[in-house]
Amino acid sequence: MIVSNIPFILILLIPGTAALLYGERNDQISVAAGIILVVTCISIYWMVPASPDFFVNHVSWVFLLMISAVYLLSASYSLKYMGEKPSGISRKTFFLLLNLFTVSMLFSIEVNNYGLMWVGIEATTIASALLIMSERSAESLEATWRYIIIVSAGVAFAFISIILIYYQFGTLSVTQILSMNRAPGLVTRIIVSVALIGFGTKIGIFPVHTWLPDAHSEAPAPVSAMFSGVLLPSALYVLYRIYEIDPFRELFIWFAVVSIIFSSIMLSNQRMFKRMFAYSTMENMNIALIGFAILTPASIAGALILLLSHSLSKAGAFYSSGNIMKTFDTKEVGDVHGLMTTDPGTGASLLLSSLGVTGAPPFGTFFGEILIFYSMLEYHLTVEFSLVLVFVALSFIAINYNVSRMLSGDSVRSSCSSSLRYIALISSAIPIALGIAFLGVIGSVIT
Amino acid sequence: MIITSLVYLLSALVLITAFYVQGQRYIVSMIRGQFFQSILIASISFLLAWLERSTDLVILGILLIVLRGIIVTILLERRVPDRKHYIFEDNVNVPYLFIIDLIFIVVSVFIIYSLAFSSLVPDYSFLGSSDLLFPLLLFFQGIFLITSRKSTITQVIGYIEEENSLVLFALFLLPIPVIIEASVFLDVLALVIISVIVNKEKPVHEVMEALRG
Repeated sequence: MIVSNIPFILILLIPGTAALLYGERNDQISVAAGIILVVTCISIYWMVPASPDFFVNHVSWVFLLMISAVYLLSASYSLKYMGEKPSGISRKTFFLLLNLFTVSMLFSIEVNNYGLMWVGIEATTIASALLIMSERSAESLEATWRYIIIVSAGVAFAFISIILIYYQFGTLSVTQILSMNRAPGLVTRIIVSVALIGFGTKIGIFPVHTWLPDAHSEAPAPVSAMFSGVLLPSALYVLYRIYEIDPFRELFIWFAVVSIIFSSIMLSNQRMFKRMFAYSTMENMNIALIGFAILTPASIAGALILLLSHSLSKAGAFYSSGNIMKTFDTKEVGDVHGLMTTDPGTGASLLLSSLGVTGAPPFGTFFGEILIFYSMLEYHLTVEFSLVLVFVALSFIAINYNVSRMLSGDSVRSSCSSSLRYIALISSAIPIALGIAFLGVIGSVIT
Repeated sequence: MIITSLVYLLSALVLITAFYVQGQRYIVSMIRGQFFQSILIASISFLLAWLERSTDLVILGILLIVLRGIIVTILLERRVPDRKHYIFEDNVNVPYLFIIDLIFIVVSVFIIYSLAFSSLVPDYSFLGSSDLLFPLLLFFQGIFLITSRKSTITQVIGYIEEENSLVLFALFLLPIPVIIEASVFLDVLALVIISVIVNKEKPVHEVMEALRG
């Protein structure tokens, strides 16, 4: 392992610099920053930070990688998608906020301090709120407001857990607290329970998820991709770090199971495809939460591969949704027919991404779910496992049925730009490669 | 002894400002209620700074006055003359909301307090663990204000009340490092600025068909 601070500082500086270079060319600068960021994130796999201000291990690395990958894809997609003059905010401001949003997520993952993690998560709300209203419709303004007030009120509640961590341990350093190995007590139970409800607002845990379908459906496609693909996992990462203090397994798993049941039922009844994908995100985040809550190497590996594959598949699903909205000018499943004949590229990306987000083999999400389900059975969580299996199957059927309706039939329309199609297709296809690559190591993870 | 009695008195006044805000239909009165609340919490911070000889608490008090007391109040009040919706909140049945508010906060605070917080003994304890009832009551007042009103400015004030309760909670239990507290204050300030920008065009929030389900 190489010990150095420079790459970890660079990870924050790259999108930070792109944000500072506010001007006519900041769109292209953002794409260049995305490429450099992905390369830097891959290279730090073999490094550990020298400074105690950073805490990056292999778990954090997966989160950094997924944030940088989805940032690159969303910046590239936005080049064409956002047009020259978005109605809500200017193109320059859009890319400025996209970069600040990325910096705040990366900061939350890298920093070795629970208090600053909270600050980073709250900063993501500030940076991303105006991105939702880029299209300036009455619905997008309302969705923005709901996002601001519900998430801020919820994350403020999570601050109680930060105060209690300081009260209990006298420090907010993640590494110091985790190395103390204190016996669980009432205070640590309150800490993780309050964090579950507080950060759960951002992650999409029932019943504090209500902003999620609105913001996802009204934000522009590249922003929805960032929300689903990386914002919710960033909050989940912070919750996971707090959960490590005192694993309150029963509470976390039951909240996740109820959230999966709720999201499956809701997504089965959706008329709008973006809202359907938003509920699917809620379902996947809660499956990953079960993985982290079980806290075995297999379940954590399952949660990580699920989140990584989901981030790209879901980004692909939202890019495909953006293409469909440009072609068909609707968000309703029932108004879209013959996508495979009208726009085969977008049709293929939508099909691949919907299979990816529902956990079909050989996508990485499938192997992630298998590992988590295996860990649930290993822990004799039979009732929870049965419920999750039934409702995951329901989501699989509902999403793929709706997508097949959109793909089939005849329709004659002019399709969207080819670059938008390619980005959606690339994003949807990578999780297959991830799944196949993971096949090679799955045996060693389980044993 | 005198200082702890003063802290107790000021904490009670903080709660009175929360009830005052809850009982208002005029937006300016609510904003000023929030201003007094922030000043009262800053005063508690100064008193505890005197008691503990802590410069961190002095900085915290100054931050409260400058960021939350002055800047947030100016930002919110500047919106009032521009729009009719910002002067007076329509369709608000204050006596009814007041009764519901009382029931809500008494039930929720005492359930949560007795289940979780009753065993925590704050640093500056003047009533034992019951000190924490003040911030908890304020927190749920803020939540109730957000959920019971439809005007943007009122909901922002509810959120600020919630944040004020966290400052009070940290002050009583164990003040967290001032650098973290300052970052939190700046976050909240930025959020208030964004709220003001977003809601130039949407002062009132109703149910929308496209956002159902």
